[in-house]
Amino acid sequence: MPAICTVCSKGAILKRPKTGNALCKECFFHAFEEEIHHTIVHAELFKRNETIAIGASGGKDSTVLAYVLKLLNDRHDYGVNLVLLSVDEGITGYRDDSLETVKRNQEQYGLPLKIISYEELYGWTMDAIVKQIGLKNNCTFCGVFRRQALDRGALMLKVDKIATGHNADDIAETVIMNVLRGDIGRLRRCTAITTGTDGALPRCKPFKYTYEKEIVMYAYFKKLDYFSTECIYSPNAYRGFARAYIKDVEKIRPSAIIDIIHSGESLSVKKDIRLPVQGVCERCGYISSNAVCKACVMLEGLNKGLPRLGIGKTHKERRKMQEMLQQETGAADSTPCTDQSLKSSCKCENKTDQSECSSQTYDSDNASGCSTYSKSQKCKDGCSSTNPRTVAKEKLSIFGKLKQPPSIDF
Amino acid sequence: MPRIMKLHRYIDHESQMTPIDFQVTRGCFQVYVTHKFRAAIGKTKLVRDGEKVLVGISGGPSSCALLHLIQEGLSQRAHKKLRFKPGLLFIEEGQVVGQSLEERKVTLTRIHSLLRQSGFPYHLCKLADSLDLERVKTLSACQSNHAAVNKMNQSAMDINTAAVNKMNQSAKDINTSAGNKMNQSAMDMNTCINPVEGDKGEVEKSGHGENCCDLLEMNREAEKLFAAQLGSIKSISGKEDFVRALRHRLLLEFARQHGYSKVMLGNTGSQLAVRLLTDISTGRGMQAAMETAFADRRNTDMMFLRPLRDFSSKEIAMYNNLHRLECVFIPSLTTMGDVGASIEHLTEAFVTGLQAEYPSTVSNIMRTGEKLDSSSAVDIESHCALCQGPLDTDVGMSSALAALRFSLEISTMGKSNGKRCIKGDNSVNNTNDELCSNGVNYDAKVECCGESDGSCRSSTQLSVPDEGLVLQTLCYGCRIVAMEMDDVNSLPEFVMKDVAWRNRRSVMKAEIQDFLLDDR
Repeated sequence: MPAICTVCSKGAILKRPKTGNALCKECFFHAFEEEIHHTIVHAELFKRNETIAIGASGGKDSTVLAYVLKLLNDRHDYGVNLVLLSVDEGITGYRDDSLETVKRNQEQYGLPLKIISYEELYGWTMDAIVKQIGLKNNCTFCGVFRRQALDRGALMLKVDKIATGHNADDIAETVIMNVLRGDIGRLRRCTAITTGTDGALPRCKPFKYTYEKEIVMYAYFKKLDYFSTECIYSPNAYRGFARAYIKDVEKIRPSAIIDIIHSGESLSVKKDIRLPVQGVCERCGYISSNAVCKACVMLEGLNKGLPRLGIGKTHKERRKMQEMLQQETGAADSTPCTDQSLKSSCKCENKTDQSECSSQTYDSDNASGCSTYSKSQKCKDGCSSTNPRTVAKEKLSIFGKLKQPPSIDF
Repeated sequence: MPRIMKLHRYIDHESQMTPIDFQVTRGCFQVYVTHKFRAAIGKTKLVRDGEKVLVGISGGPSSCALLHLIQEGLSQRAHKKLRFKPGLLFIEEGQVVGQSLEERKVTLTRIHSLLRQSGFPYHLCKLADSLDLERVKTLSACQSNHAAVNKMNQSAMDINTAAVNKMNQSAKDINTSAGNKMNQSAMDMNTCINPVEGDKGEVEKSGHGENCCDLLEMNREAEKLFAAQLGSIKSISGKEDFVRALRHRLLLEFARQHGYSKVMLGNTGSQLAVRLLTDISTGRGMQAAMETAFADRRNTDMMFLRPLRDFSSKEIAMYNNLHRLECVFIPSLTTMGDVGASIEHLTEAFVTGLQAEYPSTVSNIMRTGEKLDSSSAVDIESHCALCQGPLDTDVGMSSALAALRFSLEISTMGKSNGKRCIKGDNSVNNTNDELCSNGVNYDAKVECCGESDGSCRSSTQLSVPDEGLVLQTLCYGCRIVAMEMDDVNSLPEFVMKDVAWRNRRSVMKAEIQDFLLDDR
């Protein structure tokens, strides 16, 4: 017996993963689009005459997002200007293919496109980073760098907001992952539909309540073209565990994904828990909860041949560096200062102590992290093997106060 | 060279799990466990001297360990012994898995001997009793074996509550081996615990021991009702949730009726980590903090304590092995089931698997749970009628709940396919989360007697409230369970009474709305 669409009573061709109702194609399109419209309207995501950058990776979420936002913008007259923004991490075999898709999207939807690459911003591609750090913890680098890259690109285009294609499954995974990791600050923020309203560019997630399966279904029936491969470096990511769990729970109870988001929204944190406070990075001026932002720390580590600088425990890394300096530098004045400054501020767990380590003998080295690329290129070639000799010659500037490098004004 | 943990010199005061790669001697381990247990209770200063605490014993390994720890802690020879008065309660749940009468009798007998040996007053009841809470009042404590008491615990700190039909007699029913002072206080306690008429209760013979299986024979109607309700819930996860809510309610009511002021449960840290994740996955995020905290203050008059929350299941197993404690295995709905049988089972497999690779998983999860706020709701009307957790459905239009409702609405366009018309019939623009009610659907219009104390009995059967009204009194997680049932009105009696009471109150409030100054 053929199934009947529960809305218009014609023949149904699919079953909705979210609610289990049988629907025909047009009713499904209508339901899908109206739900996103409902989300946008009730969360007040867009205002008239704003410029919105759509984070486009070429994957299913961003392709469908671009399509649907353009459609809804025309249909319901939001009055926003849409642009596509894409980030090239430099992963061969993955990113270069997906960028072709984005370029196709640009032609199909008639939206302007900007591509920004890690190479041009930081001087490192993900391939090179993975060679240094290995296959575990590389997602940390990519994620931190991409966030900054999106913001910088958006600022270059002078947009008001960034819209990303994070769907319900992603948010549910993030909630579970944050519980597993014990990251209470992120746990509180991750279910918000708009984040980053103070300081940096706000980002919104119009797909927050949309199931991944429904996005795929929509793209399939609308014959939208996208690039669908997993990042080649991702299989060992911690997020994979959370994702597998979510998929299994969804099999048992399809509404579980929305249930998890609801739980995440109703979680409240005790008042006396210390949460990170937002400040500004000293070196590049980007927002940061520590004195130096994570991207700068990571870059410094990569450039000096200590790739785990951004990842390992702070005090251990400092100890390693101290040992390295002691081995190499014959200069007497730097060593006692190093000892003293590290001793006083090496109280380990508190990351903000990093900034207190001020020592005048450290030369204000040119910011080898963010803006000067030629130096970092040289450095990259020089220290592909972690040879302590070449590393220690340059004074480690990460723990000293520097002059502000010229950078984009946030 | 393996690292040795020398406990006699330094005891870790943080509530952390045992580091896995340490080796300990037996003596040190015993000290470690005992210290952690006592510290957990003593640190919070919640259990006062002489307080009556109901200990929920399920027969599993953690319950046995808890019982043993309490016994050790209360015994005279303990260094600074604990000072509260435990009473044990076992809830028989054989009906949930469909065990036969013989199997249930076997389990019951084994548990009974276990409880009797402990020397504390113990009670037995079954899960179906939660549907007939009136009867709970009349269940009395079983006498602990007098000889066993003498052997185990010289400073017999406990009283044997007399059987119901002996209530009206004088203090000579009380037999403790303590002095007259104890008798006096015991007599006082007895007179205020069971204020019921003698003829209502079942007659329990004193020294009742061997007839514990009478429990299974009594109250067959409640069992049938329970079976029907359980059967109407379709998914195993829903059944588990329902059973848990009933169990909690039964513990609560029992403790209230018999004069206990706190309830102690033996959940270990590993179990609680699984519980936290399961709660998040079933939409019970707001209660997740309460379920995993040491003190669960969901109900303001009864606190639930979990002193074993800092122990992992491995430590408990080692402890049981050390003392050769015997546990009774009681099957649950997902025993021998495959991994995807229910959400809790899946989560358990997930956490255990992750723990094997990343040994700090369980402690991370517990730490996250500690940081969550388990604020209790202010008044009784913002409690879920089924699980007594806080209601978390008062969210705005930009929320998961509203989005789900909208999806259902738009996928069915207001056409109700039978009975499920609760979600969002033409209620698109509601500003608060009122589920639609197709008008109040009362069977018979009855006149209210005007008393507002909940004793309105103007018809022999309370009028049947609308499905929407019932669902409104449930939290998000319990709604999922209730909607799986065929008929929401077949929820347990205590839920329906609560619904009716709240409905009456909201009618009252609507009448006087204009004159209320405080918007509460």
